[in-house]
Amino acid sequence: MSAAAFSPPITVSPTASSPPGAATAAWVVGLLQASDSFYPTGSYAHSFGLEGLVQAGVIRDRPSLQQFLELSALPALRHVELPLTAHAWRAFATSDWPRLGELCHLASALKSAREARLASENIGRQRAELTASLHHAPIAQEYLRRATAHAWPHAAPISAALEGHVLGAPLPAVLAGVTYAALAALLAAAMKILRLGQNAAQALLTAALARTPSLIAAAEETPLAQIGWFNPWLDIAAARHESANARMFIS
Amino acid sequence: MAEFSGHLSLQAVARADRRTVLAHQSFRAPYHLSKPYWDADAGVLIVQIVNPTAGMLAGDRLESTITVAAGANLLVTTPSASRVFKMHSGHAECRQHFAIAAGAWLEFMPEPLVPHRGSSYHQITTVAVAQGGGLFFVDPWLSGRVGHGEAWLWDRLQLELTLHVADQLTLRERFDQSGLEAQALATWSGSGPNPCFANAILIPPNGNEHPPSPPWREALADLHRDGLWLGTSALRGGGWSLKLIAPSSLLLRQGLRDTRRILGNHFPQLTADPRKL
Repeated sequence: MSAAAFSPPITVSPTASSPPGAATAAWVVGLLQASDSFYPTGSYAHSFGLEGLVQAGVIRDRPSLQQFLELSALPALRHVELPLTAHAWRAFATSDWPRLGELCHLASALKSAREARLASENIGRQRAELTASLHHAPIAQEYLRRATAHAWPHAAPISAALEGHVLGAPLPAVLAGVTYAALAALLAAAMKILRLGQNAAQALLTAALARTPSLIAAAEETPLAQIGWFNPWLDIAAARHESANARMFIS
Repeated sequence: MAEFSGHLSLQAVARADRRTVLAHQSFRAPYHLSKPYWDADAGVLIVQIVNPTAGMLAGDRLESTITVAAGANLLVTTPSASRVFKMHSGHAECRQHFAIAAGAWLEFMPEPLVPHRGSSYHQITTVAVAQGGGLFFVDPWLSGRVGHGEAWLWDRLQLELTLHVADQLTLRERFDQSGLEAQALATWSGSGPNPCFANAILIPPNGNEHPPSPPWREALADLHRDGLWLGTSALRGGGWSLKLIAPSSLLLRQGLRDTRRILGNHFPQLTADPRKL
């Protein structure tokens, strides 16, 4: 079922007479909804390179998974996904469409591995379409129209910024949502691939999330020219995953 | 000690007899050019860029521009590793620009970059390939003076690459890590104490044709063994990313030789021997 088929439209926008706490609650519940695995962006079908690294024997257990989070997943958030989201959130706030087009292309070009790039773009497209259909937001409709007209890749960080903007969420909260969703998706995939229990996964998630404030603070200050980071082992594992004989995840 | 502000400008063109020549060349120390060699079998002009100094020091600024015009085939290489020496402050910077016209071919295959203990290096590479142009670009680097047992002791290594194909941003990569950060990643990966890297790009000269599995891809995948990691993946808008990681410089060199040999069956320009000079 397409997102547009949902009816009636769900809205979390507070009314003009709502008290300040209600306004906050409105975007908090919106971000909770968007960060939940129940939200149908398709991210559950991706391991974001994790399966390739498991197949390569690099990630074998909880300690090597924890190192992956610390040495690769968090730096990628810090240097790529979060700064892209921050720049896009600001561009949506001023309807800076040329900048948004530039960010969409940059987000796609930053992923040399095809699976990683397509994962981001498929999730991003679904999230942008959900934003447009669930919230009936004109800016989301306009983003989709321009992306189609100009062949902008629907990169996931740009769509996250779009949804955060539509919800009225402040930038740090949007970035926190991106961080949570990325780490939770990785760990959910890890529980299917590795011998990793729920409590262990939550312990790893808690430790990684403790880094969120510093990640967000740094990402907010990252200029466009300094966006970028890559892990060559992850890129090679993702490239080889494309032609793996057996696999559970799309990426 | 004197700081260098090096400059290199090359323009390769095709003569009426289809032979590639340098229509323009200018350079300033530490850049120097050896006499070009025309490989008639491969149909490629081989140019070797020589750095007659020991290597790069703090404050050095190098800038190069290499353009290849329609019909020309150029291979640019270096005779020895590019060393970046210890710096008490500041950094060395290298900006390199490449432009490949429709119907032109460029192979850039230098010897590896070797960042020494306490060095800081910033390399900014921009590549523009016109629709129908061809490219094989390789950026190899070592984790340090691995032959001396020195690895990961550099302060900061920044490698930036921006690739446009047919005026579209196709790839943007940015590596910016301290030696300690990179060492932690390498240790986690299990690639041994001194892994060596090559980041390569292949833009087939036949434009946008990039089927999911070109005939050379499986042969390259088979090179992934004995500690050598090799992955190929299609870039957005056409072309391929190739990444290699080897546990030693010798294995990296062998991996690159094998890669060129396999690709040479499909791209005859890659049969030129970079060590001919």
